[in-house]
Amino acid sequence: MSEKALEVRSLTKRIRKKLIIDDVSFSVEKGEVFGLLGPNGAGKTTIIKMIVGLIGRTKGEVFINGFDLDREFKKAISEVGAIVENPEFYGYMSGYRNLKHYANLAAEKIPKERIQEVTRLVGLEKAIHQKVKTYSLGMRQRLGIAQALLHNPSLLILDEPTNGLDPQGIREVRGYLRMLAKSGIAVIVSSHLLSEMQLMCDRFAIIEKGKLIQISSIDELNGGNLEQEVAFEVDNADNAVRILKNYYPGFAEKVVNEKQFSVKITRETIADVNQLLVNHGVKVYGIGLSSTSLEEHFLKITGTDGQGGMAYVVANKK
Amino acid sequence: MLSLIKNELGKILVRASSWIYILIVLSVVLAAAVIQAKFTDKPSSNWREELESEIAALEEDLQTAEEEWEKELIIYEIETNKAYLAENINPDTYSNWHFMNDTVFVVMILMVVLFTAIVASASVSAEFSSGTIKQLLIRPHFRWQVLFSKYLAVLMYSLIMLAALIIFGFLIGTLFFGAGDFNTRFFESDLDSNRTVMVVGKQFFLKVLYFLPGLIIITTISFMLSTLFKNQSLAVGVSIFVLLVSSTLGGIIIFLAEKYTWAKFLIFPYLDLTVFATQDTILQDVNLPMALLILAVYYVIFMVLTFTIFQKRDITV
Repeated sequence: MSEKALEVRSLTKRIRKKLIIDDVSFSVEKGEVFGLLGPNGAGKTTIIKMIVGLIGRTKGEVFINGFDLDREFKKAISEVGAIVENPEFYGYMSGYRNLKHYANLAAEKIPKERIQEVTRLVGLEKAIHQKVKTYSLGMRQRLGIAQALLHNPSLLILDEPTNGLDPQGIREVRGYLRMLAKSGIAVIVSSHLLSEMQLMCDRFAIIEKGKLIQISSIDELNGGNLEQEVAFEVDNADNAVRILKNYYPGFAEKVVNEKQFSVKITRETIADVNQLLVNHGVKVYGIGLSSTSLEEHFLKITGTDGQGGMAYVVANKK
Repeated sequence: MLSLIKNELGKILVRASSWIYILIVLSVVLAAAVIQAKFTDKPSSNWREELESEIAALEEDLQTAEEEWEKELIIYEIETNKAYLAENINPDTYSNWHFMNDTVFVVMILMVVLFTAIVASASVSAEFSSGTIKQLLIRPHFRWQVLFSKYLAVLMYSLIMLAALIIFGFLIGTLFFGAGDFNTRFFESDLDSNRTVMVVGKQFFLKVLYFLPGLIIITTISFMLSTLFKNQSLAVGVSIFVLLVSSTLGGIIIFLAEKYTWAKFLIFPYLDLTVFATQDTILQDVNLPMALLILAVYYVIFMVLTFTIFQKRDITV
């Protein structure tokens, strides 16, 4: 078939009279990291469970690597590696035995070397012979990824993969996902954190109340002419705003306090503004995309309202 | 399918609790042997004379006895002793096979069933409780295959426990009571206290054989509860409750069955078929093939329920 690792058509789930998932369709290309973004309870996990056959569908079709999940269940499902909700294991067995247990269930025989290989990949060599009940959440998360990769799947599904990880762990997971995508695996990640989607995904679908609202690509969001809320930290906010107003009369600026202000500008303008301020002797201590930027975009789409904080985040480089 | 069964049996045997259950069963056998050895008399060589003098003494008592029930009791005793003499069976003979036939047998029908029920009811529910059921089902195997491998693994565990009990019981019996003749004859009483002469070794294995259908059906019931309840403690709890209540219900149904025919089709009196080792019918007219047929019908219903529910259920843990 095509290069599609996953194709989902009109996924619908109705429990009694309640519509849980409403006609969701999307597809994921090989080598792509695709995000499912939505608040808790929006139906991300339900969609994932329907894709892997844990939950029945009221309507709709799922094709994994071209195999129909209904007609060719075994072929379709052997292309999938997944963590659904939390990475769960048998606590009374060692990490290695857990991996061996899942390796035994694969369609084709998985050699010992492969188990060692995935162990090394997620950096669990030291702890692999300890019982899983002694593992931290971060270690379980990594063992979960190892388990999902054992049988060389072409579709990797990770539900909230950075849940419970520290920043270092999150960065590592992001690293694996990039590397895996580069090797041609399609990756689906779900999250309720916008900033995370921004950093991990190529494209993402916004899910709200069981409906797919929109599919956007990160490039679309980050680059180009999209105006984003950019926060500046300077020695004197009022002074800086006065200077800017002379050059850009139409600026919609907000002074947060005497040292911080924010403006809505495009990516290119950030550099211009910085230069202008520096030239006028303003000390610039920090520039950041306001964390609300993507959230605002998100809220605009989903129609929910909320007041985000003004914390700085490091401006991400694409 | 073979790798699935191996995995499931492995998961049972890797747990300490599975071995502790077997150890408990074996320790009970050992403890019973120690206690029994203290109270068992060495069989004397002149047991015939002893029995005859005992009969004479009992006959004297019979003359002086006033109450009707007292007389009946004494007459029964006399007849028992006379039967021993007539069949040339030493009542004090006790060997490893006697030990197997009474003590090991009781441990079997009480404890092997209990621990098998516990393991069976945890089998599927534990996977739901820990959430691992999701990982287990995202594999290239059909759901019924996963479930069936679990079912077989539990049955295998049960057989391992049973085999351990029989082997250990035989060794302990030999150690404490000496190696006896497999073909030793003895008196076995049925539920109405009628005595029949049986061969002790054969009788034991006949009971084990008749024990198996009940073991399988109780395993199946516990396994069904295990797939119905997603909570492990609940599944195990309900399973043990059913087990405890069923023996009581079995007794009540014996009375019910005298009045109502439908009571004969309830499952409870058939959960323990070992009574057929001592008598031909229970509940007036139910013989072994009939009992097996009734059990088979229940078995099919339970299996169909278990597998269809599991096949269709949404995994929402």
